[in-house]
Amino acid sequence: MKKKNTKKAPYKRADNIAGYLMLTPWLFGFVLMWFIPMLISIYYSLTDFNLLNTPSFIGIGNYIRAFTGDQTFWQALKVTFVYVLFLVPLRMAFALFVAMLLNKNHKGLGLYRTLYYIPSIIGGSIAVSVVWKQIFGNQGVAMTLLNAIGIHQKTSFLGNVHTALGVIILMGVWQFGSSMLIFLSALKQIPHSLYESAMVDGAKPWKIFTRITLPMLTPTIFFNLILQIINGFRVFTESYVITDGGPLDSTLSYVLYMYRRAFTYFDMGYSCALAWILVAIIGVFTVILFKTQGSWVHYEAGRE
Amino acid sequence: MKRSTYVKKIVASVLCSAMTIFMVGCGGSGKETSTTNAAQTTANNVTNSTTGDENVVIKMTWWGGQTRHDQTQAVCDLYTSQHPNVTFELSPSGWDGYFDKLSTQTASGSMPDIVQMDYLYLTTYAKNDSLTNLQEFIDNGTIDVSNIDANLLQTGSVDGKMAALVLSTSLLNVGYNPDVLAEAGVAEPTSEWTWNDFVTMCETVYNTTGKYGVSMDSVADTNIFHYWVRQHGGKLFSDDNKSLGYEDDQIFIDFVNMWNGLMSKEAMPDPDEYAQIATLGQEAGPVVTGDAAAIFEWNNYASKVSSVNDKIKMITPPLPDFSDAKGLWMKPGMFFAVANTSNVKQEAAEFINWFVNSEEANDILMAERGTPVSSAVRQHLIDGGNMGAQQVAMFEGITSAVQLCGETPAPDPAGISEVNEAFERAANSVYYGQTTVEKAAESFRKEANIILARNN
Amino acid sequence: MGMHKKKTIHSILFHTGACLLGFIMIYPLLWLLASSFKSNETMFLNPYSLIPDVWDAAKNYASGLEGVGGVPFWRFLLNSMEVTVVGMVGCVITSLFAAYAFSRIRFRFGNFWFGCIMMTMMIPAQVMVVPQYIILKKLNLIDTKVALILPWFFGGAFFIFLMVQFFQGIPKELDEAAEIDGCGRVATLFQILVPVVQPAIITSSIFAFYWIWQDFFQPLIFMNSPKNFTIPLALNMYLDPDSYNNYGGLFAMSIVSLIPIIVFFIIFQRYLVDGIAMDGIKG
Repeated sequence: MKKKNTKKAPYKRADNIAGYLMLTPWLFGFVLMWFIPMLISIYYSLTDFNLLNTPSFIGIGNYIRAFTGDQTFWQALKVTFVYVLFLVPLRMAFALFVAMLLNKNHKGLGLYRTLYYIPSIIGGSIAVSVVWKQIFGNQGVAMTLLNAIGIHQKTSFLGNVHTALGVIILMGVWQFGSSMLIFLSALKQIPHSLYESAMVDGAKPWKIFTRITLPMLTPTIFFNLILQIINGFRVFTESYVITDGGPLDSTLSYVLYMYRRAFTYFDMGYSCALAWILVAIIGVFTVILFKTQGSWVHYEAGRE
Repeated sequence: MKRSTYVKKIVASVLCSAMTIFMVGCGGSGKETSTTNAAQTTANNVTNSTTGDENVVIKMTWWGGQTRHDQTQAVCDLYTSQHPNVTFELSPSGWDGYFDKLSTQTASGSMPDIVQMDYLYLTTYAKNDSLTNLQEFIDNGTIDVSNIDANLLQTGSVDGKMAALVLSTSLLNVGYNPDVLAEAGVAEPTSEWTWNDFVTMCETVYNTTGKYGVSMDSVADTNIFHYWVRQHGGKLFSDDNKSLGYEDDQIFIDFVNMWNGLMSKEAMPDPDEYAQIATLGQEAGPVVTGDAAAIFEWNNYASKVSSVNDKIKMITPPLPDFSDAKGLWMKPGMFFAVANTSNVKQEAAEFINWFVNSEEANDILMAERGTPVSSAVRQHLIDGGNMGAQQVAMFEGITSAVQLCGETPAPDPAGISEVNEAFERAANSVYYGQTTVEKAAESFRKEANIILARNN
Repeated sequence: MGMHKKKTIHSILFHTGACLLGFIMIYPLLWLLASSFKSNETMFLNPYSLIPDVWDAAKNYASGLEGVGGVPFWRFLLNSMEVTVVGMVGCVITSLFAAYAFSRIRFRFGNFWFGCIMMTMMIPAQVMVVPQYIILKKLNLIDTKVALILPWFFGGAFFIFLMVQFFQGIPKELDEAAEIDGCGRVATLFQILVPVVQPAIITSSIFAFYWIWQDFFQPLIFMNSPKNFTIPLALNMYLDPDSYNNYGGLFAMSIVSLIPIIVFFIIFQRYLVDGIAMDGIKG
């Protein structure tokens, strides 16, 4: 890949210099805080390491163990996939919808923006935990509502193996504020003139949305999509704070399991292997998305 | 051309210096190998001096709440005022993340000199040689253990080494609300009561008042089950810690069936209901608020909730209906351990001795860490008259429970937290109706044996 | 007239819906606020009520502000402020440069480095913390605020990626014209591009502020002395599942610690205005 590119057009020396100069602060930090730690953690993943002993090399034993001898690994993987599958489209659609609404000229938009962003701020605090358990616990609002319309069930949504993950996903959707903010700032960047000329041509609102807004938003949609997928796979706080993985591991997210392995079960070597398996999974999805972006993401600046 | 080599140089030097750090990092021992970072790393080698009246700094860490932080700070200040050459670098912490941090520090050779240690992790740290053998300091008279129950002292001993000194003791107890029992017309339990009495009490409470007979998570860890297994004459873990110590799965089956029966009769909240109850914290638990009769808890429960309800009483847990085996034992509460990497072991041991045995230190600490291990200190605190009624009852409970206690088991094996998790999952799968109790017993045994074999 | 009426109805519908949604969004915050006024003893007896049975606001806030372990709460607040503001500025500037390089300059291995950036987003922080601790220890930075600030000064993958996406949305003619005019690259970046991507910079600042402010895991591992603690660490010190907890003080201080983020957001979101600068080009 790289070689082919080089042949296509030679790099200009001035560009190389300018590029690396601008990249230097990040590059330095990358090597120091990421690259070296990555190497160390890859090394750990090939060892039997409990954090307190001296790591002893065991080859790919940890990886084999994950795929062949660990049912919880598969359970955590399943939970995480389901979470990503539902959370990403739901949260993005909702965030975009609200961002569009808030992009109009109404009074008090600043207030609404702030209100909607607040769930993302208070994230995983005790208050959120208590309140969510209150709403979806067995004396909670949700149960009361169901009872009122004649549906009676014994276990609550959070206590039910089949619905607990749904509550966690709902909580993720509830924290749509960050995505909304990114959409909002992208909407702000679309020039007025585009809309004005479309209005002059007498285009219907739906047409304006599909012909102007959506194409202009595709870089941001792409960004949000990548981001949500990555963060979705790395979900930790929600299942840690609300259910601690229960009931019966039905909300045990991959990273929560990985974290337990590392720090509760003193199994750092194995935990690092789990981390790299996750990186591989996320990496595959990201690469696929990047490969497809040529067909649907619209860049004003043209693509590199 | 010139400029491009300049860039290359920058990149190269960045990579190079970073790699050097990497090499040092992997070296672990902290020996000088680098050249570029010499200035930075030499600062690392300025270490504390060791003995005598030279100035020493003791690094110490513990977990706890606001009260404990303030009290421990005050105790250390007092110690410094008496020993001007000893100063402290204190690292108080909440429970959340305490052990994450401790293991990270230990992994990079910077464990604080004195660490508060929990029973859950003691064996793991001890087996990996992270902790100093304190026997040396007991033998040379630095740490006085004459007022500490010998069995209790041994709970800090792993593989023949005194890995940590126990600070407080706790006892499995049942806390009950006398008002609820009176309302249900049930007599208050005595220390002779049995499991049958317990079950009958719970059912009667529910049948007469509609309140929970008992409100708790019976399988959050293996503590109650451990007690139950001992009452059946078994051990929870084998002597080599590589497998479960009891042979007959019927022990597990009976245990789970008993709780499951209470749940199905609604005399006890099921895990789902209890999860909601637990959200609100102990101070608002149903036993405290008078919505349930009893709860299995550590013996400091009544004292802990006394600010909300000062009527709660404690009693030793039920005896077996089926044998005379003594299930109870003195459980250690917390420990102090000294890092193996410490340069100030002698000073740390002196401080721990003072912390455990001196009246002035305990006048400040006020048994906040649990019932003090020293019988002399307990007597001193009772005589001082500053203890709450619940705390006095707690101290006396310890003394009177001794006759109910059997042999103290070896410290929990490495991997105990994972075993607890497997136990909870197995039992809950029965409570949730996902599987039969026989299958759950089987799967717990299988899982636990794998975990134990891997860790020990 | 009819048009006007329709607009009013529309507006009422909008505000009703927006307020309803807003209430759902903000409910936990209201709960937290109400709980910070309740007395410790009655806090959980009637936990779902937003109106305290016993008002204990003064005591809660006073006991919270006293701090923990001999360190007053304002010290934690100052620490957090310092780390957050310095870290945020460094992070946004570094990320801006990196994003400019990736989107406007074609240089050797550019794609490779961009892949590396994406990769840093994928690795769970939990397994990186031990190696990072070892490195910071070798640099003698453990228990210093530099340990908390420095990683942010190296920029963040999220911010770089976000800004790259925004740069890509701007026609290249815009800055190419400027460069022909003789502007240097840095001047082009700051004079031409920064005003256009202002929404992205604002957004990045808001996120950076919040992330640094609420970061728990890194400070937990990297800091030892209470005098250096940031707010999330301080709040954690109030809690111990095994002892009597000062929930009132904890909730009161949670509220105090949320104020800066909310104020920061309210101020900064005002600058999320329409990207006027680009109109000249497209028109």
